[in-house]
Amino acid sequence: MKRRAFLKAGGVGLVALIAAGAGVYSQVPVIPSRPNPDLEAAAGWITYQDGRYTLTLPRAEMGQNIATAMKQIACTELDVDWDLVDVVLHDTNRAGLKPTVGSESVKLFTEPLAQACASLRDAIAAGRSRGEVEVVQRARSELKVFQGGGSVGQAPKLTQGLEIVTGQALYAADVELPGMLFGRVLRAQTSTEVPSKPIAWDMSAAREVPGFVAVVEDAGPPIGQAQGLGIVAERPGALDVISEALNVEWGIGVDHPRADISASIDVDRTRSEGALPHVAMDGTPEAGEWDVDLRFDIPAAAHAPIEPRAAIAHWQSGDLKLWAGTQDAFYIRDFVADAFSLDTDRVLVQSTRIGGGFGGKTVCTVEAEATALSMAVGAPVKVQWTRPQEYALAFHRPPSSHRLKARLAGGRISDWKHDQVSSHIMFTAAVVPSWMQAGTDMFAGDGGVERGMVPPYRLGRARAAYDALRLPIHTGPWRGLGAGPNALATESTMDEAARAAGEDPLAFRLRHIDDPRLATVLNAVGELSGWSSEPQSTTQGETRIGRGVACGIYKGVSYAATVAEVAIAPNGNTKVTRLWCTHECGLVINPDQVKAQCEGNLMWSLGMVLSDQLPTDRGRVSAEYFTDAPIPRLSDTPEIVVSLVEGTEPPVGAGETAMVSGPGAIVNAIRAATGQRIAQFPVDFEALAV
Amino acid sequence: MFVLNGERQDVLKAWADETLLYLLREHFQLKGAKFGCGVGVCGACTVIVDGEAVRSCTFPTSALEGVKVRTIEGLAKGHSMHPVQEAWLAESVPQCGYCQAGQIMSAVALLDGTPNPSDEEVETAMDGNLCRCGTYARIRKAIARASEAVR
Repeated sequence: MKRRAFLKAGGVGLVALIAAGAGVYSQVPVIPSRPNPDLEAAAGWITYQDGRYTLTLPRAEMGQNIATAMKQIACTELDVDWDLVDVVLHDTNRAGLKPTVGSESVKLFTEPLAQACASLRDAIAAGRSRGEVEVVQRARSELKVFQGGGSVGQAPKLTQGLEIVTGQALYAADVELPGMLFGRVLRAQTSTEVPSKPIAWDMSAAREVPGFVAVVEDAGPPIGQAQGLGIVAERPGALDVISEALNVEWGIGVDHPRADISASIDVDRTRSEGALPHVAMDGTPEAGEWDVDLRFDIPAAAHAPIEPRAAIAHWQSGDLKLWAGTQDAFYIRDFVADAFSLDTDRVLVQSTRIGGGFGGKTVCTVEAEATALSMAVGAPVKVQWTRPQEYALAFHRPPSSHRLKARLAGGRISDWKHDQVSSHIMFTAAVVPSWMQAGTDMFAGDGGVERGMVPPYRLGRARAAYDALRLPIHTGPWRGLGAGPNALATESTMDEAARAAGEDPLAFRLRHIDDPRLATVLNAVGELSGWSSEPQSTTQGETRIGRGVACGIYKGVSYAATVAEVAIAPNGNTKVTRLWCTHECGLVINPDQVKAQCEGNLMWSLGMVLSDQLPTDRGRVSAEYFTDAPIPRLSDTPEIVVSLVEGTEPPVGAGETAMVSGPGAIVNAIRAATGQRIAQFPVDFEALAV
Repeated sequence: MFVLNGERQDVLKAWADETLLYLLREHFQLKGAKFGCGVGVCGACTVIVDGEAVRSCTFPTSALEGVKVRTIEGLAKGHSMHPVQEAWLAESVPQCGYCQAGQIMSAVALLDGTPNPSDEEVETAMDGNLCRCGTYARIRKAIARASEAVR
């Protein structure tokens, strides 16, 4: 491919050709290889016609408001007015794009987009209006974006903001096609890692339901080991009635060996059975007594997006078009092509705005269901999961169990040991079929579980090791991956170590930090919150008030520190009353939306400590509604102050960073208020009663 | 017969067993109200029926006779947006945006009855509207801003 930008909208798209295997419902996972974006890829993102520009967003939009940030980059580098650039979401008729995960959008996509826009700007200035433009790489110092020019550093109106507040169609389930039907694939109420399939059903009762269209036996690939039975109706409400009338009898295999999930994820038990196989820090702590020795247990948690995932499939004359609210349209294309033995160039996936992703909308499920149903009935079919399906069939944050030990010498940490047992995040059973798991488990660790196990401190002789055990529920990436739970454990331990050393926890951290950027955000949050070295607890009447601090680095590139204030009633009811957060992620494209991401992370931090817990029963997720697995509400929301520390490095992401500091700050505040070190999450309020 | 955003409408017989949410979304093509849980506990489907915020996912179409339904599509008057919509944009509230139509309708219903709500009244009115992105702090600010505008 030549390096070129398309001047003219509607020009030939760049189509990535990624080989896909054959075979109906192949059990070999599709793992497309897509490199970081380069100039060739970026060339197709921006086009010009008749005085207007179209930016085809190379990322999924799920509320990080990346559409706004990338439009800022484009407008700045093109040097054009805000209203001259239209933003559209990408489909798969172009060079392959990386999945929108890992807070990488601003980090990896800013420069290629800026380079493409700069070359396009020069071509137009030279009088060109047709044809293709070669993108000539120039030094970063010649790009306006990296000099903070144009709208960089400002907060323009949100792209799609007007559409959101006026209720216009934006999401997958909002797509409307003539003759569209409504579908669902029923699956057994059991673990997704126990074989199950439909055996018998009452067809005649289903046919009686007004609006009934079809029962589809070939309902697409299994989810895990759960095979489904499809139903199609003329109206969405009929699906509930049909599924009840069918009264499906399910064949279900024996219970999963780890059906008791909380008993299975037990760091001390696994540790007693042998060494943990995967090592994140390979120092050798000296033998002897420890000053701090803590065990933390953090349960499974759902992503709980308000949008249950949805897809619309339209199968017509050998071509398949899908609309999907997915973090990875190209994976959807390749998965569906593989599963249904289609050529990838006969499958087109149009991405739509996602109603909350958080790492959870990265695999192919509902899209394959809609495809199977559309192929069966020969009409467009919309499938949106029910809320119980969203809990039962999606993957979740794995539970994790941690043993943390620290030893002090001369007021500093001399030895550190972190053992963890969790379940898979990267090599999740949601992608890797069961027959293959034994193989991957033998040689591969799991970078997701490992993320955040190396604290940003000088810890002397430090060792961190882990194992990941297969569970009957599907686990996988959840905002921050392992970084949230690991930082909750390590920042709790740092707090106890500071107490053991008799030192203020903020000053104690500073004495263990080498990275000046981390020291800067930590000092800044101290100033912002009016932190003093006085004891961080008071009372107001019978209410106990405490303050806590925590900090961290996410993926080695972005920095956050948080101070939390909590108020605890005599009955133990715990309220986070104030949060102060400082954040540094290099050059900031849109400060308001970086703050919005911090606010989101802080609410997730609050949930992680106070409420997140996914109920399971005999190896299956038993939660069906938000009432079974509560998420934070408006009345739980503290006063939040976020302050961005100006960075000079190139821009990086902000979507997960404050997950490394928020939870620790809150739990350390509870420690200050009550004297109790929380070891089991979420917090049991009754245990804090006086 | 019922009134939808100021216009008289009939419920077709085929939709008699459906919910108001699906009637709005799939028959009238009003996509603002969203399916979130189907049991009325998340608030994404909130619309206003006879002045009250209701969960359209559990509201049967059989109960529509003679009522007035207001959805987010009916808030703006021409190009002039409702003060709550203006406030939502001014505070850059939306992240993913999926819950926001429901949040906005709950806020409109609150301010219609209580133009100057206390913190407690805001919490009571809005606590049934969940937002996983965590935009609550901005929702509070937007309601305060809209409250000033409507008074």
